[in-house]
Amino acid sequence: MRNIGFSARRERGRGRGVAGIVGAGLVLALAACGQADDGGTDAGDPDASAAGEDVTIRFAWWGNEDRAAITNEAVEVFEAANPDITVETEYVDFNAYFDRLATTVAAGDAPDVITMGGAYPREYGDRGVLLDLAEVAEYLDTSTLDAGALSNGFFSDTQYGVPTGANTYGVVVNPAIFEAAGVDLPDQDSWTWDDFADIAAEISANAPDGTYGAADPTSAEVLDLYLNHQSGHGLYLEDGSLNATPELVADWFTYSSGLMESGATPPATITSELTTQTSPEQSLLGQGLAAMSFGWSNNLGPFREASGQDLILIRVPGDTGPNGSAMWQQASQLYTINAETEHPEAAAQLVDFLVNSTDAADLIGTDRGVPSNETIRAHLSEQGLEPTTQVEFDFLSQVSEFIDGDFVIGPTGSTESAGILTRLNQEVLFGQTSPADAGAAFVTEVTAAIS
Amino acid sequence: MSALRELSTMRREPGRGHRRRGRSAAEKGDNRAAVFFLAPWFIGLFVITAGPLVASLYLSFTDYNLLQDPNWIGWENYVRMFADERLLNSLGVTFTYVLISVPLQLAAALLLAIVLDRGLRGLAIYRSVFYLPSLLGGSVAIAILWRQVFGTNGLVNQFLALFGIEGQGWVSHPDYALGTLMILNVWTFGAPMVIFLAGLRQIPETYYEAAAIDGASRSRRFRSITLPLLTPIIFFNLVLQLIGAFQSFTQAFVVSGGTGGPADSTMFYTLYLYQRGFGAFDMGYASAMAWLLLVIIAGMTAVNFFASKYWVFYGD
Repeated sequence: MRNIGFSARRERGRGRGVAGIVGAGLVLALAACGQADDGGTDAGDPDASAAGEDVTIRFAWWGNEDRAAITNEAVEVFEAANPDITVETEYVDFNAYFDRLATTVAAGDAPDVITMGGAYPREYGDRGVLLDLAEVAEYLDTSTLDAGALSNGFFSDTQYGVPTGANTYGVVVNPAIFEAAGVDLPDQDSWTWDDFADIAAEISANAPDGTYGAADPTSAEVLDLYLNHQSGHGLYLEDGSLNATPELVADWFTYSSGLMESGATPPATITSELTTQTSPEQSLLGQGLAAMSFGWSNNLGPFREASGQDLILIRVPGDTGPNGSAMWQQASQLYTINAETEHPEAAAQLVDFLVNSTDAADLIGTDRGVPSNETIRAHLSEQGLEPTTQVEFDFLSQVSEFIDGDFVIGPTGSTESAGILTRLNQEVLFGQTSPADAGAAFVTEVTAAIS
Repeated sequence: MSALRELSTMRREPGRGHRRRGRSAAEKGDNRAAVFFLAPWFIGLFVITAGPLVASLYLSFTDYNLLQDPNWIGWENYVRMFADERLLNSLGVTFTYVLISVPLQLAAALLLAIVLDRGLRGLAIYRSVFYLPSLLGGSVAIAILWRQVFGTNGLVNQFLALFGIEGQGWVSHPDYALGTLMILNVWTFGAPMVIFLAGLRQIPETYYEAAAIDGASRSRRFRSITLPLLTPIIFFNLVLQLIGAFQSFTQAFVVSGGTGGPADSTMFYTLYLYQRGFGAFDMGYASAMAWLLLVIIAGMTAVNFFASKYWVFYGD
């Protein structure tokens, strides 16, 4: 808006063309709008007008329409409480989110409040894109949040992000399919990766065509857990180097292709088709076509909704082995602020509202993980949790007993590893590459990406 | 406004008496009008095309990661390309796609153009119907549709099921995914078809009449009259479609969900370029890739023009 006004005025200064006249009209119209709004704030909220004129900030996240609906409602509540701040929201699905973000940052047109996740905060933070939140501590109170969760947004000696909520990883189970197939639910206190394979194969054998024991489990998160259980270390070491060896990764590919060959997981074409469809509604679990699937605890709700079944969460296989669980409880996402924002105060106020306000919690609930703010958690419990949220709360507290601190966040460049893993897994499943070659390729490519 | 007035004076000028004075004034106006009307194009060229073009040439010699200022690294990006197996694979995919789908597309276009040239009733309707895919083919909507049609539970498999054939996910199998994209490209034959139709109209009827009197068969007339006289048009279409096909992006991006999968089988060069630049914070490398693509396309076009001496007949 400001840009239009500026260029129009410059045109008019040269005294040329229709553009100047139209532009002048626009400037007048804008000025009129601004005045009307100013009048409103002056009357309503003396504090805000003291802080400055009306500001507009942009807030971006990834997710589906359900998330958008509740987030936009929360944003409206925020705007009502802060009449001098207008929040423009934007969201896309996860596959497109980070491509788009990189482009907008390069163009100097990034949103003011940016949702981050995984190893991305580091990619952006270490490259100077994110605001040091200490600068806006006046508006954003982080003392209310659990130290453990907060540490997820702390690196390079700087607090760059605020956790949206804690999250953990597990196996989402559809008990109805187990029952129909006549298979007992696994004992999560003892089951191993072999048990997972056997149970999945048995279900596939007993279930109708097109229903599978499990969706293909290959993902960076699962590989990290598997490597931990096998070797005592995950994908990366504390110093940011790669721990995975060609042999260990080859073991994983042998495992994942073994699952497919035994019928435990669907054929390669279906698995590869699913990688292009990331929403819960399109997943096998969401369609009620898989008995088990690895997933984040905050996705339980969307999966339940999509499948219409009372899905449950159980701990991953192998986490009671000699090498420990390697389980983690981490910020599912982080709210960060663009270092170039013109309105750091307003952006900080919005983030503060999202993580510290009961009004926001009433709307957002556990959609972005279980809130890291003790007061908010208590508030949600008092309100009476929905059954799905209760299951999630319980699972999180259950897993918290097994957290052993072995989890390491990937270094800069590690965001590529997920794509590399998916592609190599497809090559193995389609029989184009042997597990051994794929294991070696994984190590070579990820090493290149993080160096 | 003033330019419009100039134009209207120009048109009236020849009818008037003062030719000398009139012409110079008209010429001046002519130039001004030309500049005026070309201005949008020039602004587009310099702001939207030339600026970024020069910038990308510069960036191709840097380690630009989108988020930080670029550092000059010389030829490193270009050297890296030769060792990049995925880049070589993407070149293989792209060349396969171009060299198979473009000839098929032109053949389909020519065939349909010849059929439509017979003066069918309702020709305009047929022409529009066949042209429609060209307008839609590059769109995101059609790519999504394609993914559904060729998906595991898509139309194609439902059709095959009628005959008891169990299909598979065509877009999600590395052996067939590229093929479905080629079919999509062939399906958009409308644009070259319209040009072929125009070309066919240019061939004088008398040639055919003379040939018919001499007893030439229909296939003989096609081979000895239609085809040779149409070669400039074929050449034109070939050049355009080759360049277009090398730059294909949308279909592969949408059908593979941006991954180029399964297993890099639909990893077009442009898609890999996009992934490096926007996904992997490797914009310097992506810029270098863009320049390599320019060189490749220019090379292919040059070969095309050179070869055209031997097969394109300009009727003189």
